[in-house]
Amino acid sequence: MARLIRTEKEVEGRFEEVWLVVEEDPLQQWPEGPLSVVGRPAVRQDGPQRVRGEARFTADVQLPGMLHTAILRSPHAHARVKRIDLSPALALPGVRAALGPGEAQGLADEAGFAGEPVAAVAAETYGQARAALRAIDVEWEVLEVVLDPQEAVERGLLTGEPTRYERGDFERALAEAEVVVESTYRTSVVLHNSLETHQAVCQWIGDTLEVHISTQYIWGVRDALAEKLGIPGDKVRVVCEYMGGGFGAKNDPGEYTFVAAELAKRTGRPVRCALTRREENVGAGNRNATIQKLTVGARSDGTLVALGGEFVNAIGWSGWSAPTDGPMQTLYACDNVRTVRYGAKINTPPMKAFRAPGYVEGTFGLECLLDELAAKLELDPLELRRRNHADSNDGKPYSSKNLLACYELAQKHWDRRADVRARSGTTWKHGVGMASQIWFGGGGPPSYAWTRVTSDGRVTVVTAMQDIGTGTRTAMAQIAAEELGVPLERVQVVLGDTARGPYATLSAGSSTTPSIGPAVRAAAADVKRQLIEIAAQRHHLEERVLDIRDGIVVSADGNLSQPLEELVGLLEDAQILGKGGRGPNPTGMSVLTFGIQVVEVAVDVETGEVRVERVAAAHDVGRIVNPLGARSQVEGGIVQGIGHTLSEQRLLDPETGRVLTSTLDAYRMPTIADLPEIVCEFVDRPDEHLTNLGAKGLGEPPIVPTAAAIANAIRDATGADVHELPISREELLRALREAQERAREGAKEHVGAR
Amino acid sequence: MPELELTVNGEIHSVDAPTGISLAELLREELGFTGTKIACNEGHCGACTVQVDGVPTLSCITLAHSVRGAVTTIEGLRDHPLVDAFVRADAVQCGFCTPGQVVSAAALVAASPEPTVEEIRHHMAGNICRCGTYPRIEEAILNWRG
Amino acid sequence: MELVRADSLQSLDGGVFIHGGTEVVPLLRDGILEAETLVDVRDVVPRGVDGNRIGAGTTLAELEVDPQIPEALREACRLAASPQLRNMGSIGGNLLQATRCWYWRLKYPCRLHGGDRCHAREGEHREHAVFANDFCASAHPSDVAAALLALGARLRTTQRELPLQDLYRLPDEGNRDVVTLAPGELILDLELPPVQASVYLKAMDRKRWSFPQVGVAAARTDGEIRFGLAGVAPIPWLLTAPEALDAATPLPRTAWKVEVARALVRRAVAAVGAA
Repeated sequence: MARLIRTEKEVEGRFEEVWLVVEEDPLQQWPEGPLSVVGRPAVRQDGPQRVRGEARFTADVQLPGMLHTAILRSPHAHARVKRIDLSPALALPGVRAALGPGEAQGLADEAGFAGEPVAAVAAETYGQARAALRAIDVEWEVLEVVLDPQEAVERGLLTGEPTRYERGDFERALAEAEVVVESTYRTSVVLHNSLETHQAVCQWIGDTLEVHISTQYIWGVRDALAEKLGIPGDKVRVVCEYMGGGFGAKNDPGEYTFVAAELAKRTGRPVRCALTRREENVGAGNRNATIQKLTVGARSDGTLVALGGEFVNAIGWSGWSAPTDGPMQTLYACDNVRTVRYGAKINTPPMKAFRAPGYVEGTFGLECLLDELAAKLELDPLELRRRNHADSNDGKPYSSKNLLACYELAQKHWDRRADVRARSGTTWKHGVGMASQIWFGGGGPPSYAWTRVTSDGRVTVVTAMQDIGTGTRTAMAQIAAEELGVPLERVQVVLGDTARGPYATLSAGSSTTPSIGPAVRAAAADVKRQLIEIAAQRHHLEERVLDIRDGIVVSADGNLSQPLEELVGLLEDAQILGKGGRGPNPTGMSVLTFGIQVVEVAVDVETGEVRVERVAAAHDVGRIVNPLGARSQVEGGIVQGIGHTLSEQRLLDPETGRVLTSTLDAYRMPTIADLPEIVCEFVDRPDEHLTNLGAKGLGEPPIVPTAAAIANAIRDATGADVHELPISREELLRALREAQERAREGAKEHVGAR
Repeated sequence: MPELELTVNGEIHSVDAPTGISLAELLREELGFTGTKIACNEGHCGACTVQVDGVPTLSCITLAHSVRGAVTTIEGLRDHPLVDAFVRADAVQCGFCTPGQVVSAAALVAASPEPTVEEIRHHMAGNICRCGTYPRIEEAILNWRG
Repeated sequence: MELVRADSLQSLDGGVFIHGGTEVVPLLRDGILEAETLVDVRDVVPRGVDGNRIGAGTTLAELEVDPQIPEALREACRLAASPQLRNMGSIGGNLLQATRCWYWRLKYPCRLHGGDRCHAREGEHREHAVFANDFCASAHPSDVAAALLALGARLRTTQRELPLQDLYRLPDEGNRDVVTLAPGELILDLELPPVQASVYLKAMDRKRWSFPQVGVAAARTDGEIRFGLAGVAPIPWLLTAPEALDAATPLPRTAWKVEVARALVRRAVAAVGAA
């Protein structure tokens, strides 16, 4: 019977209460460790088509008669359109339609950043559309520009009320602390740079809008379009079978989809709207810059007694204030914590979620601060973390937590410190640093899957989710194969189409596997139950003695051993159908992921060059479904983390607020040459309280601690306290100079003391 | 529009196309070779890499009319052992850069059948992978013959 | 726009020359360069290395593995750009590449574009020049030019022979060009005098595929060491002695480059051996 319950749902650290219909009793979790299919390495089922260039991305969708769109963007960081005349553009060759402010969602008459979309043109070719933009006549009223987040905070220009948090008595605890460290950290804006830019192709077929879009959330796109266009949700079909990266920036339709939908309506033709790389790096979102003024008070044994932080998120013109303060509130046991977080609304391009938004930035600050404390106390940084391990999330139990086990896995890497440091010479200094990781990743309801077994014994899982490149198809197939007892190669997963499958949640917030995986298992269990019932009747046996193993229907006494395809082969065109839904998360528990990374660096103290030589990662994300795919997530997160730590930085012209580093020669992401040795380990213990799967998400955790661990390794190697991301040569040489001066002062004091 | 004759994956194609058209655009939009991806369209990322007479070339900043040699795209390398090596090593996440990676790697292993890690890192540095699959790509190329 | 293929040096008559196209094609697309006629010069520019003579049409990829050329040039080629760009780009074209200054590339009306101010000086200039940056603070990105300066290379064009440093000029109010080529003048080849030792050291923020933050080439001939620097001035910068770094005039955010240059010059001297 269907039960209606109220439950909590979390995405990217944002919680909401939702109603949920729960159907059957939950399945028992599988035992710990590698099973027949789940927990064993599986190559991607869609690997060949992606590698061979056969996978059809949105960028590859070419529909007959398709028009191309170019978007006019504000040259001013803050301005109002006083007057706009599209007619000169409409008169140009190839131009078929044009939209001005207010004619599609996302085309604004007040531009709040340089690059905000205001008008759009559809033409036979992209070149014609782009040429037509120059003919659009706009009269601008230029408005006041604020680019400095600190100024915005002082003037109360905020995206919302400041978020305040306090437990215990921070002031008193700080006053009583034996050691206090205060530091200010800054992180810069970094850009997602999915290799496939944000884009959509829209086409009206009758009263139905068909949308091909590079998105992390086909249902979110469907619902947003339906709402804004005032049409029923089932009149919008959204398709995304393959997408070229998202990293958090592709969770909603964006102006490009609304523009394409409206232009398609006006012209009666399919319309593509695709951002160029430069547009992508201006208007498609970013990880916002932060300023973090942090304080830690501790006893001389390292016990944390007070943690305080003032966090400024430089949001830009729109976006949300990500939980930069989260790590400080949750990573360590500390009775007295006070944080305040401001979202500065400034005339810069809007933020969008980017792989563990807030926690990447906040962990950099907190974990550097902890190491500065460790240095002051002359305590082993890992030991300092152990001493402050949190056994509950401010009184709320964890559904599972194996952070100490992660530390245990990391110990052998941490123990390399003496050997690594011993490699130091006069110019190249070597050191080791670490940082802990905490983040969400428990997923949540609802999500659904259907399973179909055909009379050839093959299994299809249908769920309208998307695979953003993490290997979802394969992981879901593994879960279904495990539950059903069939070989992995017999299972195929159909996804990426709202018209062909039930709702599944977004591929963001490390939620795909923990959210949809349990639904897939439930759907597979449903067909398995039916198959057993069929076998029981066919062979006049009791259901309880039957099982399916490796594609064979077997009885407990071994007398029956019938290939599944033989059993269902009788049924010809009949199909056995199953369905499953995602149950709720455990009530009253914190579902979180944990980990540690230990980084070895070499630093050239004369030129400020940093080489990340080795990164050892140990993460606790519950059960690992596919060790091969899991390793790739960890490696990918670390590589991205190295990028924003050392070489990536979006720069603005301080006068106009325009992005200067929109091209990939200026915005420098890591190449294969920058790759360190990466060692990747998992605790791999199912979370016994979390769903029928016990698996948490892994997309985001690996990028969380990388920057802090690198910075801490630099301190270990050189004594320099870096306070800024990226750690450019300029910043590092400054920190090295500061460290030298400190050492000289210290030496003087020392001499004086004698 | 000037006519142009181009050998792609061993077949000769004749097309009328404007002088400014890039090789990438021609391949994708006129000839249907959509395995070649355009990600930056200004020669910075390597997603559009094709071979011209075996030499890795950025097709997004190559004028189609200036091409003198035989073009090989990912469609011409679909049976190359590297494809299987990439799948085995999990050297693919979103897959948007992957065809370009394979095209570059195919030229590398043709010139150096047993490439060292240093050679791989030197010769593959022009193919950006935002998902960060580099460790897997390195492994795939090291073990390309299976 | 039309594309024609030059079949002899005598037939060259106007138009924009294109060889590898790695610079010309993006600049055309951005409207920074305009051309009614593109002249493909690959058939008329010599290609290949012959002793101490390098055809201007030789690609960087060919040079990075050529044992005949001095270490500094080989290393400059090896560390330049990306593998694909090295496959496509010729050494002649490399010498003529424009700055990576973001203001210039994004078509701000700066002095190099004929405007009346340098946006970088007052704006975002952390990757910009430390020498001769008063009029225009752009930094010249050619690793190869720095190496060739140190090596004392001479160029032969369709019109003259000249030492490499004479190919470049600092932009000024009257003339915003950074090269001295006359219209229709084409670089044909380069000649390298013998050196005893040479080296190229490059500071980058990635290990590969990065324009030089600072590039330092040094070459020792008889008792003398010459230095060529990349990424420090609007043109490739010839340094006669390490002390010449004291004359740097860094902007507020480019002082770090001087520090890096000092370290690299010191190491370069050590690498090529005492003068």
